[in-house]
Amino acid sequence: MAADEHVSMIPAASKVGWSAEVNGRGFGDEIESGAILLDVLRDQVGTLGVKRGCDMGTCGCCTVIIDGVARLSCLTLAGEAEGCEITTVEGLATGHHLAPIQEMFSECGGSQCGFCTPGFLLTSAALLAKNDSPSDSEVKSAIDGNLCRCTGYQQIVESIQAAAEILRSDAKSKDGTAAQMDPHPGLGAGDAGE
Amino acid sequence: MRTPPFNLHLPTTVSEAVQISAELRAEGRETDWIAGGTDLLPNYKWHLNTKSDVISLARIEGITSVSMTEIGAMARLSEIADGGEAHPLIAAAARKVASSLIRNSATLGGNICLDTRCFWFNQGEDWRSSIDWCLKCDCGTGADCRVIVNQNELCVATYQADLAPNLMVLGAAIHLAGPEGERSLPICEFFKLDGMTRNVLREGEMVVKVTLPDEVGQWQGEYQKLRLRESWDFPEAGVAAAWRLGGDGTLAELKVATTALESIPRLHDQEVAPIIAAGWSGEESITALAKAIQQTVKPVNNTAFPPNYRKKMTRVMCERALAQLSIN
Repeated sequence: MAADEHVSMIPAASKVGWSAEVNGRGFGDEIESGAILLDVLRDQVGTLGVKRGCDMGTCGCCTVIIDGVARLSCLTLAGEAEGCEITTVEGLATGHHLAPIQEMFSECGGSQCGFCTPGFLLTSAALLAKNDSPSDSEVKSAIDGNLCRCTGYQQIVESIQAAAEILRSDAKSKDGTAAQMDPHPGLGAGDAGE
Repeated sequence: MRTPPFNLHLPTTVSEAVQISAELRAEGRETDWIAGGTDLLPNYKWHLNTKSDVISLARIEGITSVSMTEIGAMARLSEIADGGEAHPLIAAAARKVASSLIRNSATLGGNICLDTRCFWFNQGEDWRSSIDWCLKCDCGTGADCRVIVNQNELCVATYQADLAPNLMVLGAAIHLAGPEGERSLPICEFFKLDGMTRNVLREGEMVVKVTLPDEVGQWQGEYQKLRLRESWDFPEAGVAAAWRLGGDGTLAELKVATTALESIPRLHDQEVAPIIAAGWSGEESITALAKAIQQTVKPVNNTAFPPNYRKKMTRVMCERALAQLSIN
């Protein structure tokens, strides 16, 4: 391959210890010093919901939430995210209960082929955590870094607005002690997310 | 394409960063600074001028502040755009940079030092190999520039960042730190007309912060940006204008700068001066100034839009940026 002719030999990068809290669980391993967070999440942590789309920051499929901020994992160095709280799409649901944003994406047709969906879910979750009554234009500017080639975005905006409505009514009527109905009664709550 | 392996260093102070860089270079290793990574990492993934060691500025404390008169190099663009602390012109320009996700990572320093871009350069390795490389990343082959051939001296890659022209019109100074100590200079003197050298940063020197004059609050401004996709793209041309009105409401001072039309952003004092000297007459002056600036800029054919269109739009955007001054 032509690449062999000109790429100067770069000595293999050193390995370093790395730890972070991914979806509420501590994770620690040795990673390559200059590793990209996307690679570590997919190849070492195993959270395959983080999608590799363009790998260049254009499509937003690899979005994760780092310490409350939606970030592109393909353009984030793992070393810089060390010790941070990282949320991937796997961390949105509570046990078998989908988060309102996931529920509404499925309800309103916000997801079709599904490849971009994890990115959209996390970008919207980060938006709704800060602002539970965004205007349509705030929603659109929040998701301007996520590309979807199926839906035409209208259903995505509707899904986010529907989820915002649930969050608002939840905030009003939240009774932390009320029992929630288990949508998958046979599975048992203890093994969620294993 | 996977990122080639490199060693990451995470200093926590500016002096430590400068020291690490000096030590690595003393060992004969090459280094790059990484701020937000939204420009450097895509370039690395395309195997464009990669280095063995990368020094991250993310952990350095005290260079993230945002205020009217001072912005740290590691201040995130999302903070500048939506934090409510920065000058309204700088905030508006930051809001026009790329997408909200990119702005969550991208920084002021990274935006100012953005690598110049060219459609013969920002391509995958196989693509560039098929055209036998180019001057900016010649991979040791001594390749010629693909835009202006047979000169083999000057890289004409375009400087496509948004904040610099806005900082220029507000009279910003840039503060650097390096092995020979700290220095500061007007941001207009920071850039160098060569797509490869790009700026006056010496080996191992980094940007620490940008400061604006105390009276910057009296200045108003407007930034116009031409791009392919409104929510995402780099500027194809950009015009920043800032002005200060006198006590009687007439124009007291005016500055105009352009970006994305050459290898450097440019302040157009030379074009503004004769128009102001002739007496500001609102719309007529704007038309004359816009035309003068259109004639000065020299875009080349290396971005998405053809140079003629970018040049014409420079005049249009100049008129739009100055529209608020048309009554004076």
